[in-house]
Amino acid sequence: MKVSGDATLHAPIDRVWAALNDPAVLVRTIPGCERLEATGPDAYTMTVTAGVASIKGTYSGEVKLHDQQPPGSFVMSASGAGGPGTVSTEVQVRLEERDGATRLTYDADAVVGGMIGGVGQRMLAGVAKKMAGEFFAAVDDVLTGRAPETDGSTTTAEGMPAVYADPGAQPGVYVAPPKPGRAVPEGFAAGAVVGAVIALAGVVVGGLLGRRRT
Amino acid sequence: MTKMFGEPIKRVEDRRLLLGGGAYLDDLGRDAYAAAVLRSPHAHARVIDIDVTDALDVDGLIAIYTYDDLAGAMAEPLPLLIPHPTLTHGRTQYALARDEVNHVGEAVAVVVARDRYLAEDAAERIAVTYEPLPAVVGIENARAATNLVHDDVPGNVAANTMQEYGDARAAVAAAPNRLSLDLAVERSASTPMETRGVLAEWDADSGRLRMWSSTQTSTGVRAAVAAKLGLDLTDVEVITPDVGGGFGVKIVHPWPEELLVPMAARLLKHPVKFTEDRREHFIASAHERAQLHHVEVGFDDAGRILGLDVRFWHDHGAYIPYGLIVPIVTSTQLLGPYKPGAYRVEFDSLYTNTVIVTPYRGAGRPQGAFVMERTLDAIAGSLGLDRTEVRAANFIQPEEMPYDFGLTFQDGRPLRYDSGDFPASLDKLKKLVGWDEFAAYREQARAEGRRVGIGLACYVEGTGVGPYEGGHVLIETSGKVKVATGLTSQGQGHQTVFAQIVADELGVSMDDVEVVTGDTRRFPYAVGTFASRAAVMSGSAIALAARNVREKALRVAAEALEADPKDLEIVDGMVRVRGNPGAEITLGTVAVLSNPLRYAFDEASKAATQFAVGDPGKPPVAEDDEPGLEGRDYYSPPHATFANGMHAVIVETDPDTAEIRILKYAVVHDCGRLINPRIVEGQIHGGVAQGVGGALYERMAYDEHGQLQNASFMDFLMPYVTEVPRGIDIDHLETPSPLNPLGIKGAGEAGVIPSAAVFAAAIEDAEGIPITSMPISPSALFELRRTHEGQR
Repeated sequence: MKVSGDATLHAPIDRVWAALNDPAVLVRTIPGCERLEATGPDAYTMTVTAGVASIKGTYSGEVKLHDQQPPGSFVMSASGAGGPGTVSTEVQVRLEERDGATRLTYDADAVVGGMIGGVGQRMLAGVAKKMAGEFFAAVDDVLTGRAPETDGSTTTAEGMPAVYADPGAQPGVYVAPPKPGRAVPEGFAAGAVVGAVIALAGVVVGGLLGRRRT
Repeated sequence: MTKMFGEPIKRVEDRRLLLGGGAYLDDLGRDAYAAAVLRSPHAHARVIDIDVTDALDVDGLIAIYTYDDLAGAMAEPLPLLIPHPTLTHGRTQYALARDEVNHVGEAVAVVVARDRYLAEDAAERIAVTYEPLPAVVGIENARAATNLVHDDVPGNVAANTMQEYGDARAAVAAAPNRLSLDLAVERSASTPMETRGVLAEWDADSGRLRMWSSTQTSTGVRAAVAAKLGLDLTDVEVITPDVGGGFGVKIVHPWPEELLVPMAARLLKHPVKFTEDRREHFIASAHERAQLHHVEVGFDDAGRILGLDVRFWHDHGAYIPYGLIVPIVTSTQLLGPYKPGAYRVEFDSLYTNTVIVTPYRGAGRPQGAFVMERTLDAIAGSLGLDRTEVRAANFIQPEEMPYDFGLTFQDGRPLRYDSGDFPASLDKLKKLVGWDEFAAYREQARAEGRRVGIGLACYVEGTGVGPYEGGHVLIETSGKVKVATGLTSQGQGHQTVFAQIVADELGVSMDDVEVVTGDTRRFPYAVGTFASRAAVMSGSAIALAARNVREKALRVAAEALEADPKDLEIVDGMVRVRGNPGAEITLGTVAVLSNPLRYAFDEASKAATQFAVGDPGKPPVAEDDEPGLEGRDYYSPPHATFANGMHAVIVETDPDTAEIRILKYAVVHDCGRLINPRIVEGQIHGGVAQGVGGALYERMAYDEHGQLQNASFMDFLMPYVTEVPRGIDIDHLETPSPLNPLGIKGAGEAGVIPSAAVFAAAIEDAEGIPITSMPISPSALFELRRTHEGQR
């Protein structure tokens, strides 16, 4: 399954970075993401719950970053498995600055196996694209002030969200805060997961930009 | 008394089946534990680790088995059922994957729990670590062999096979006219209404296994299970319940579940059942059809084929348990009713990381007919001749029968047609479809802005392959007749046609005949229902068995009636002396007399006391006799009997949307003598419907990673009754087979064989665009139009 798309984030590149750089923000913004853990400089593990109707499940997987060519492009490989099946994807991400905004394009090639692989494949790409779009829109809303940057529990001095660390969790582990009405993303699970992975590309964007700036 | 053979009698099984009285596999074993199979989500991967820890928490879990739990023969690969000298690189799977999976859906673990919900919950919690490997999908990729399915199979080639008569290449080179064609057929599958299923119970006290399977061969399953579980054949009973269709996919045996379920039942000392769900059937049960073909043909100016050189590539999937049956059938049955001057055929059977390929109704013949008929259409087109003329020029003539090609058929026996009258069949077809009137119809349609086309396709089908089937016929003291054959039923109407045969042979009412199929307790020697062989093989065996019973009944009755057996007749269950009214005895009483038991249990026994049989000077059961009125016999043919037929279709294609509509479908069919025309026509109707699906709708949409993307009826298009021709015009020709006592030939696969060929021909005729790949959808036709216009 191939999915491509783009997003324009209406903020200078350093603010984009600031928003995307913090895994605690991303764990709240990535659709269905419950837990995100940095396991190395270019590696994460994550847990995503996604699904619709009877095909619902939790996927656990790994994300790795490679072929970085800062600041223009990188490739992200992710693979996950859960009850409804398996997903593995490679996302090629490209970035450019344009008129004070940041433009991001992605091309994902995903292998979706298991139960989801055989049913409703023709809907998956649409679902994945829709979710990626929602993610970038959500981040953009934060950046442009249309949405609160945090849920109001704590903010830092710069107005950036605080880390929602699980009290019992290891450092570098981020869990999504409990949110009333936070629903499992609607859509076919695998499409949702691919969408989440593409969303996660945003994490990497932030990380890359962050390193570039520091 | 009316003769039953040849009468369009209504199927006696239908009342029971239509009123919900059928008992299919999943209707049985309500108290059994349920098994669920964990299947590979990858087309090609190494299995690094299987961790069942999380699954153990599921309440109601009984057991989980992985490869490591298999012992003895169970830990060995599954059998390669049909070896062949050219099958040099045969590979089969393990009942549960050992260290590698080779297609999506391959069984990795089996979970037994109190019910199927719990079994699936537990299966979902098993964590398997895979190392994905590159998947080989599609014939082009298999042929290129950039990646290998099995590391030890170079080029992905399991077999390279060649057959030839004459020097075809020289004949092509020397011919005045030559053509080259590339022709492709995609994958499809049997897709029976009832999926696979198996139930087993172990009797620990007697050490015996009883199992039920939705199979096309109970004796095959029995032998496989006995071998794998280390049991004697007599300690394994396999019963085939009502089967909701097989179409080939259930002749494969043993499926992993047919071994794992009895293994678990024995270990757990509790009945265990597995019922395959629809998604599992799509990804884990066999497919067929995918082949690429290259044709070089040389012909004279009358369209006579002087040399035919066919090279093709067959996709057999990840493993090859059923050997080379499908490509061998293509390579031989491609010839149809024609006699090319010289013929050479060579194929490669290739591994791919997709589910296995085994015979599906038609079994390689649809591809063969597609190749031959497309070739003949191309010859007609290039010479500007009528397509029927080119066919007639190439027909084997009736006086040339039996016709021996000098090739070897799928059963290892000569490809030798026993009978057939192809020119007569073609005449019938032309009349039936209105071939000669079509040009005028086309003009009339054109004037109305409509686009119509006509096509025809012919085939010959080897049916009733050996080695044998048997029949057992027993007359009860009640006069009822009990018939058994080991061959199974998959819904064809065996209870009806076998009863018709027996009713005629014995002179009894069909209502008094009860037929049991596919139960090893009743008949332990059998092969199975496939290759359109049930009527030919079991029908003949049952007829022979009934004749034995009749002979004994007449002998015993003659003694009782003090008459010559030659003067006796049996009418409606009564043995009578011809021309001597009142000198008669019922078959039930004869049955009593045949068994010199001293107790009189019932009225029939009392009635028998008025007759005296047996020589008082000899033992009650003579040395060359046995008690009871029963007979058993076997039919084993020298080689297959060849049925044939011709189809024609008129289609209309929408000039804008490329939708394809069927206006008329005509079938001329010759399966020798008809036991029951209604059932034969039902088989043709079903076959045509399946052929319409195969030609216009169905395909297996594997992506490049080996994921089957349309593994549900949401995306896999099956024709509804609305897509099947409303009326199918059928005409029969009956050229009896000289090979069996009833003069019959098989009819089960006939309807589906020429479908791809006949639709391609009609669409090509309507559109004026070469159709070289099937199936064809409206969008594919739409694209073809655009490409074709671009080339103009």
